[in-house]
Amino acid sequence: MRFAAGVDVGSTQTKAVILAAGEGDSESPRIVARAVVDTGAHVSRAAERAFHAACREAGLDPREIGLVVGTGYGRYKIAFGHAQVTEISCHARGAHFVLPETRTVIDIGGQDAKVIRVGPEGEVRDFVMNDKCAAGTGRFLANAAEVLGLRLEEIGPLSLQATDPVKLTTVCTVFVESDILSYLAQGRRPEDILRGVHLAIARRTVSLARRIPIEPAVTFTGGVARNVGMVRALEEVLGLSIHVSPEFHFMGALGAALFALDRLEHRAEVGAARHERN
Amino acid sequence: MTEYRGEIHRRQKELMQRWYARLDESARTGWPPAICLMISGNCVELLEAFGIVPIYPEINALQLAIRHQALEPILVAEELGYATDNCAYVKADIGAYLMGVTPSGGKLPRPALVLCNFVGCNTYLKWFEHVAAFMDAPLYVLDIPFLRCGEPHPEDVAYVVAQLKDVVHRIEAITGLRFDPDRFREAVRCARRVEELWSRIKHLARREPSPFDAYFDAITLMGPLYVYRATPEGVAFFECALAELEAKAARGEGVYDREHFRVVVEGPPPYPYFRTFRDMFARWRATVVASTYSTVGGIWEFGFRHDPDQPFESVALHMLAHNLSNRNYLQRYDQIRRYVREWSADGVIIHFVKSCRLFSAGQGDMRDYLTNVLGVPTLYIESDLEDPRYFAEAQIRNRVDAFFEALERHKSAARRPITV
Repeated sequence: MRFAAGVDVGSTQTKAVILAAGEGDSESPRIVARAVVDTGAHVSRAAERAFHAACREAGLDPREIGLVVGTGYGRYKIAFGHAQVTEISCHARGAHFVLPETRTVIDIGGQDAKVIRVGPEGEVRDFVMNDKCAAGTGRFLANAAEVLGLRLEEIGPLSLQATDPVKLTTVCTVFVESDILSYLAQGRRPEDILRGVHLAIARRTVSLARRIPIEPAVTFTGGVARNVGMVRALEEVLGLSIHVSPEFHFMGALGAALFALDRLEHRAEVGAARHERN
Repeated sequence: MTEYRGEIHRRQKELMQRWYARLDESARTGWPPAICLMISGNCVELLEAFGIVPIYPEINALQLAIRHQALEPILVAEELGYATDNCAYVKADIGAYLMGVTPSGGKLPRPALVLCNFVGCNTYLKWFEHVAAFMDAPLYVLDIPFLRCGEPHPEDVAYVVAQLKDVVHRIEAITGLRFDPDRFREAVRCARRVEELWSRIKHLARREPSPFDAYFDAITLMGPLYVYRATPEGVAFFECALAELEAKAARGEGVYDREHFRVVVEGPPPYPYFRTFRDMFARWRATVVASTYSTVGGIWEFGFRHDPDQPFESVALHMLAHNLSNRNYLQRYDQIRRYVREWSADGVIIHFVKSCRLFSAGQGDMRDYLTNVLGVPTLYIESDLEDPRYFAEAQIRNRVDAFFEALERHKSAARRPITV
């Protein structure tokens, strides 16, 4: 059995996925383990911890992993990685693996948001990303939750109870606080404020997405995809239903593991050809 | 991979040092007189006819940036009241003047005249107004009409020629020098020869592999192109450069051992991170085979040349129609389309400059046109040409890597041939 791993070092969390190669041509690779740790200040250590946690979950010795591909902003810091692939390629590849009909990936992470146009074989056709600032990303939601004294996981479901959503004047992660405080001072309900927060991010993401043709199926990946309020807001603004795989958080690591498996298999084929020639 | 350093680089350094030495001499002794010009469609031939040395504030600004010395003058200018989103070239230049800093370490002279030769960008107009005010120098603004359609109208040419002749009288009055029509024709003749050589160098990049990078290497040649174009030294430099690059091409040598990608770049480089940015391309063995930035001072690869038989008219034509900045957007689209087709490029990279509205406004639409209409893979990245605060290395590297990863798939699948 051949194993390959993908490690996605994100700005907030580091994810690892281990894949087992399928037997023969007909069987797909399968996920044998996943792990997630907080990235913190030590990027290479976080990568190592996530990788070893995934190995433990799979019951594998790290030496049994044939190849590791790193992705995410810290991909060049993964000392044990054999290759690096950007998370843009990895999210496209991962989303195509879980839903081959995927033609658009919306990925919202801790500090960036991207929209990727995906080809029929999971290849990146085009992509757009937010620029240097973290407006309209996971950080924006985290700040909103903090101002309202809520936990991050509470804000999505709460936003769905809104009856009269507010209109936010900003998607700036810094200025959202004063916007929220002024609505609270006006006596607006937290659920209406939160719905406004989610819609503001959705509008910004969709305006980004409009720069490339948005084709269904749309797959939502990244940590923010766990937020049901964000899923609904995106669906409303897009006018399309959105697919959220249970692997949403691991999509980058999954894509990286698939690239690792490709290389591993290519290496095996080259080895076999050499063996035959000899 | 070792970056190519040849005779070109040695001579370029020597020429540029000599230019700064002349400026220093002018500052110390008052001779030769110096005149401020801007790069966009510059009329350096006119200055050469008088033996006047040009000062290019843009070159001073970019030299500061490439030496990582731009931020301090930018902050000085901001303290004075220049806004954060003002052109960073302006702020670096004005700030450096106020600090008494020059890229060479020598002195820059008070210009005999501040000649604003391009008014398509009103920031430039203000820049030169400020230079004139700070340096207590006379200002002359040439009104160059924007190129509205394919070719300039005869009235446009006559309008600019009349202004150029007026500038000649003004220079005579200020400096006491006499305008020599023969010397002017000779300057234009040198420019014509340099333009021919430069054009041939640019066409060498159509070969596979390309022997030089028409963005990163082109910048080495652009200093002499703007300062020495109208001089015999300029001719000698470009003859040497062409010979060296032709020899490289004859040996089948490219910029990289094995050229992997060929791209076109739109927009100036992030000078404060020039080396880092170049490395992002080198990692993928991606050669820039054509760039629009290298045509800000003049577009010669499509055939335009100065004409010694019509010196004033050809200088006017150059300023009106044959430089990137004075052309309309559809012409800029077409220039890139021709580069992609005729220089066999795999894709286009657009570098949006945050503090430059003139160059960058509309580049989002340009990206859409290239991607959606022409089907050319196009990457759009943002930072700045001068202000280091706008450069986010990890994010730019991510986009560049993702673009080349996608291009790799695109090339290997060859599923969507580029048809432009």
